[in-house]
Amino acid sequence: MGEAGEIWSTGADGPYWDGLARGQLMLPVCGGCGRWHWPAVWRCGDCGSWDHGWQQVVPAGRIYSWTRNWHPFGGLESLKVPFLIGIIELEAAGGARLMGLVEEAGTPVKIGAPVAGTFGSTMYAGRAVPAIHWRTS
Amino acid sequence: MRPIAGIAAVAGVGVRQYRRGASPLPERGVLVRAIIDACEDAGFDPAQIDGFSSYGDDHNEPVRLMSDLGTRELTWSSQVFGGGGGGIAGAIGQAVGAIATGQATAVIVFRALAQDNSGRLSAAVMAHHLNGHMMAAGLVAPAQVCAIRAQRMFEHHGVPGSAVEAFVEAAYYHGARNPDAVAYNKEFDIEAYRSARWISEPFRLLDCSRENDGAGALLIVSAEVARDLRKPPVHILGVAQGAAAGWGDLLENDADDQYATAGFRSVARQLWRQTGLSPDEIDVAQIYENFSAQGVASLIDHGFCDYESAGEFCRVENLIAPGGKLPVNTAGGNLAQGFIHGIGMPIEAVRQLRGESANPVPGARTCLLAGGPGAPIVSSAIFGTEETL
Ligand SMILES: [Zn+2]
Repeated sequence: MGEAGEIWSTGADGPYWDGLARGQLMLPVCGGCGRWHWPAVWRCGDCGSWDHGWQQVVPAGRIYSWTRNWHPFGGLESLKVPFLIGIIELEAAGGARLMGLVEEAGTPVKIGAPVAGTFGSTMYAGRAVPAIHWRTS
Repeated sequence: MRPIAGIAAVAGVGVRQYRRGASPLPERGVLVRAIIDACEDAGFDPAQIDGFSSYGDDHNEPVRLMSDLGTRELTWSSQVFGGGGGGIAGAIGQAVGAIATGQATAVIVFRALAQDNSGRLSAAVMAHHLNGHMMAAGLVAPAQVCAIRAQRMFEHHGVPGSAVEAFVEAAYYHGARNPDAVAYNKEFDIEAYRSARWISEPFRLLDCSRENDGAGALLIVSAEVARDLRKPPVHILGVAQGAAAGWGDLLENDADDQYATAGFRSVARQLWRQTGLSPDEIDVAQIYENFSAQGVASLIDHGFCDYESAGEFCRVENLIAPGGKLPVNTAGGNLAQGFIHGIGMPIEAVRQLRGESANPVPGARTCLLAGGPGAPIVSSAIFGTEETL
C-alpha cells in the first residue's frame, strides 16, 4: 500500500486511495466469482475468495441520489454553500456507488442524470482529501 | 424457544430534560437524578439495581454510578454498538436477556447527554462513521446522509412530501399539548415549516431534531417483580436489533431495495414473528425521528404503509391522539418533545400504556418503539399492557 492508502484507508480500500493519487479510479473485483465489492472487503462473503483484482474504471456514471447542502457544517469551510453532493452509480463497476461533490455543469442534477469525474481534492478540516469531482454532462 | 413476552417489564421511568447547554448538573449528576426518579416512580430501592444497559456510545460507565445509587453489587452491564440512536430498543432487549438468564434482576436502561460533557450529539455520531470517502464528498453530517436517502425516497419511490409534513405536524400537535415538551403551547405553523431555512435538501430546519441536555432511565425487572411494584407493569412483548445483508456502514452501497428505507425491514420481520402481532394490532407508536423523512421510512419498514400508500396513511388525522388510526409520537417525539438521543421515546411508550400520557390514546394496549432510523444497526420493540400477555 502506498502513502495515500495508508493515510485514508478505512480497511481494505488502500489501492483505491493509491489510485486516486495517480489520477486513476481503481475498484476491486473478486477473483473467485467476479463480483465487484464496494466497500472493499478482504474476503468475499459470497464465494470465500481472498483474491481481489483491482481494475481501473472510467469515472463516469449516473446520479443515484443527491442533496444540495446549505448549512455550513464544520470542517467544510472551504466549500461555498450551497454545494451539491451526489451518490454516483458506476455501471462499469457492477453498480458500485461512489459519493462525491457534483457540479451542475450541463443537465440539472436529478436521479439518473449522467456525470463524469475528474481527479482533485476536497479540503476537510484543513487537510486535502483526494477526491473525484463530478460534473453533469 | 422461550417467548420474550412475559419475561420482563418496565416498572419505572424517569427523565430530566433541559435546553442544550443548560443542564444544571454535569451529565452523570443528571443521570443519577433520572435513575432515582425511575426508582421512585416504581417504588423500588435503587440499591437493588444490579444491571445497566445503554446505546449510542454513552460515556457514563455504570460502575461509576454505584456510589450514588448505593449499589450493593453490579452483576451485569452492557451497551449496544453504534454511535446513533439505532440501539435504543436493543438496549432494552439486552436487559430482557440479562433478566431471563439471571445475570441481573433489576436493570436500568439509560441515556445521558449534556453538551458540556459530551459535546454536540451530531458530531459524536459522525465521529463514529466519518472516513476519507465522506470527507472527500463533503458528506460529513447525519443531516446530509439522511437527506440523500430521503431524496431518493421522494424522487425515485414517489413518497409525497405531504406524508412527511403530516408526520411532523402530528409531532408538533402532540408537543403543543404536552407541558413537558419544548413545543408546549406553540401551535404548529405549517408556513413557517415550509419556509424555514434549508439545511440539506430536502430537509429544512424543522425537519431536523435538535438535541437537549438531560438524561432518561427505565427500570426493567422481571414481569413477576413488576406486578408487586407501584405502577402497572408495561411488558416487553418483543424486541429485535440488527441489520439485513445489504444494509449497514457501506459507503452508500446499501442494496437497491433497502437504500431508501430506514433499515428496519429485517428487524420488523423479527418483531412480528416474535409477537404474532401485525401492524393492524399496534394501537400507538413512538417512532424515533432524527430527521422527519426517516420517521416516515420507519413506518414503511414496519409495514404500516408502503411507498405507494404512505401519502394516504400519513395524514395528520390518522397520526394524532386520541382517535387516529395510528397516533405517533404522542409526547411530541424528538422533534417537538425534546431530544435526549431518543430516550424520551420508550418513556412515552410506557406512559401511554399506563394512561399517563399528555395525549392519551384511550384503551391503548400495544405500543411500538422504533429506534434510531438509518443507523447501521437499528432496533425496535413492542410494549404491551398486562392484558396483552
Ligand atoms: Zn467472490
